[in-house]
Amino acid sequence: MKKSKIYFILSALMITALLLTGCGGGGDEKKQAEGEKAATGGDTIKIGFLGAKTGGHAAYGVETLKGIKMAVEDINTAGGLLGKKIEIVEEDHGSKVSEGTTVTQKLITRDKVVAIIGDPTTGITKAAAPIAQQNKVVLLSAGAVGPGVVEIGDYIYRDVLLNSVGAPAVTKYLNEKLGWKKVVVVTSMNNDFSVGLTDLFKEALIENKMEIVGEQSIQDGDQNFAAQVTAIKDKNADGIIFTGYYTEGALFMKEVRKQGLKSVLVGGDGLMSDVFLKMGAEAVEGSMFFCGFAVDETKSSDKTKKFIEAYKAGNNGVQPDYFSVQGYDAVMLIADAIKAANSDDPEKFRVELAKTKNWEGVSGTITFDESREPIKSPVYLLEVKEGKLAVKDTIEVK
Amino acid sequence: MDSIFSMFLNDYYIQVLTMLGIYLIAALGLNLITGVTGQLSFGHAAFLSIGAYTSAIISLKLQLPFVVALLAAGLMTAIWGILLGYPTLRLTGDYLGIATLGFGEIVRVVFLNMKITGGALGLAGIPRSTSLTMVIILVFITILAMFRLENSRFGRSLIAIREDEIAAEAMGINITKTKITAFALGTFFAGVGGGLYAHLIQYLNPQDFGFVKSFDFLAFIVLGGLGSIPGAILGTTVLTLAPEFLRFVADYRMMIYGLLMVFMMIVRPRGLLGGVKLSRLFAKKKVQTTGTSASGGAN
Repeated sequence: MKKSKIYFILSALMITALLLTGCGGGGDEKKQAEGEKAATGGDTIKIGFLGAKTGGHAAYGVETLKGIKMAVEDINTAGGLLGKKIEIVEEDHGSKVSEGTTVTQKLITRDKVVAIIGDPTTGITKAAAPIAQQNKVVLLSAGAVGPGVVEIGDYIYRDVLLNSVGAPAVTKYLNEKLGWKKVVVVTSMNNDFSVGLTDLFKEALIENKMEIVGEQSIQDGDQNFAAQVTAIKDKNADGIIFTGYYTEGALFMKEVRKQGLKSVLVGGDGLMSDVFLKMGAEAVEGSMFFCGFAVDETKSSDKTKKFIEAYKAGNNGVQPDYFSVQGYDAVMLIADAIKAANSDDPEKFRVELAKTKNWEGVSGTITFDESREPIKSPVYLLEVKEGKLAVKDTIEVK
Repeated sequence: MDSIFSMFLNDYYIQVLTMLGIYLIAALGLNLITGVTGQLSFGHAAFLSIGAYTSAIISLKLQLPFVVALLAAGLMTAIWGILLGYPTLRLTGDYLGIATLGFGEIVRVVFLNMKITGGALGLAGIPRSTSLTMVIILVFITILAMFRLENSRFGRSLIAIREDEIAAEAMGINITKTKITAFALGTFFAGVGGGLYAHLIQYLNPQDFGFVKSFDFLAFIVLGGLGSIPGAILGTTVLTLAPEFLRFVADYRMMIYGLLMVFMMIVRPRGLLGGVKLSRLFAKKKVQTTGTSASGGAN
């Protein structure tokens, strides 16, 4: 048993070492925090990034972070905020809810951030929001579109195009401009975004007196959709409303084409990814989805054009997507609120943030209504054309 | 007690250590099933989720005290453990593993489609009742219970079943009954862990209890050493704390975590403390004290 004793000591030492490195850091921060209290803030304003750099939602997190970094650079080169530089503290939670909460806790207690931007998904935002609320730190999600987010508390915001704004606008457009009357609805049952969006689409479909001729459920992670497509094959629908994410969307459309169906797919911004175009190839041709932002050379404002140029320059000519723009706007919204309040105290600048009206951002205009929900205009309707995304139309929202 | 902790530790460490305690309780439960009795279970996260949802619903819908919710979570999970155990524990080895894997997926899909659990939208707004003190006390109770169990007549029959079922039966052990009892006990602790988890994270989503989490628990106890209580504690501690404290290496975090696992398995194929018993460690006082202080999170 001697050998095992040695290993026991070794591993015990390892844990102690791990704990000590962690706790040692903690001590420093405590001192730093005390110092900050005395001087009412150090020489930087810290903003936390909560999102996934690995795991299932990595595509969203990485893009959001790019936008955030660009905004911070813009602010810092222009002289900073209230005479201080902005610093981004980034943490990865690997797309896991439980880690999302620990990361939030870390950003607040160890890094002492004044605001957190993230998470791009609704689920983790809902897990992180109560922690931010309890600790009186502003949390602005650049991507959470599901219900029940800002209701968590008055420190919780989001700057997204809500599905409750987008889905009715698009349904109306499909009915009036494209003349659709009959649709099939496909929902991914293990995806909170999809389940919520389906409900909104259904409501809008009834309002527009359109008919749901078929309903199918899938699961995120499914690879084979033969059964579902066979079931909707003879429904003679004008189109498929697909509320899930990009991977399943592309695979679903491949099966649709394989079985010889001509229908196109309409969905939400969960489809917004290069993966959708690459994986779907010609099968997703003609597919449409709405989102809060798209690169539209003809209609975009100077501010937007400037952002697009800067993004392209830093990313080998790739065009920015919804998440990077959202991330950029999130930082700018917070920065403007801090400026208006003349303080980086979350308790003060959150009041200014709530007052935001017709704020001109890169993604469009944003107004926070009485319940702090964002109303964003316009809604961009995108279409896949020759393997590329093109703006089919912009729908103004009142 | 909690105020004492918050004097020395900031909220982040409290959160991480509380999480560790919860995982310890659940992992010790799995250790009883897989480590001591030798019954491979891939569905431990499902039991955790049953406990989590049960306690959350009791807190949210019935507004009963937290202790009641926790107990109910444990009991409900144990009931499901028995219900699953009765038909499946006649299977052995890989077959049992697959059956529990299937069960885990069924549980996840059921929670996804139930109205009361909020489906894919998840269950939000659960009160935060879990505290570090409570978790530490429960961890010690669990360790004590496991220790007493293993060294009882019942515990010895479990080990006998692990070593040789036929021989155990020949010695007059009712195999099915003993196995199911062990399964019920193990899942009870998973349920309690789940209840604590729900009241710590305050938000439940079936996605978080997939089979990946079940494998995490299996990795905890295999890495620490199957069938060893200090092993399970050590394995859970290392694998739970490592990803958090490796944050300073940022993007390489999970790579180092993986390397750590591979390296440990090469050096110690039977786990860090494979075959080491708690009673033996007690005899060597110095070694023991380092072990518990790290695992109890009192650092």
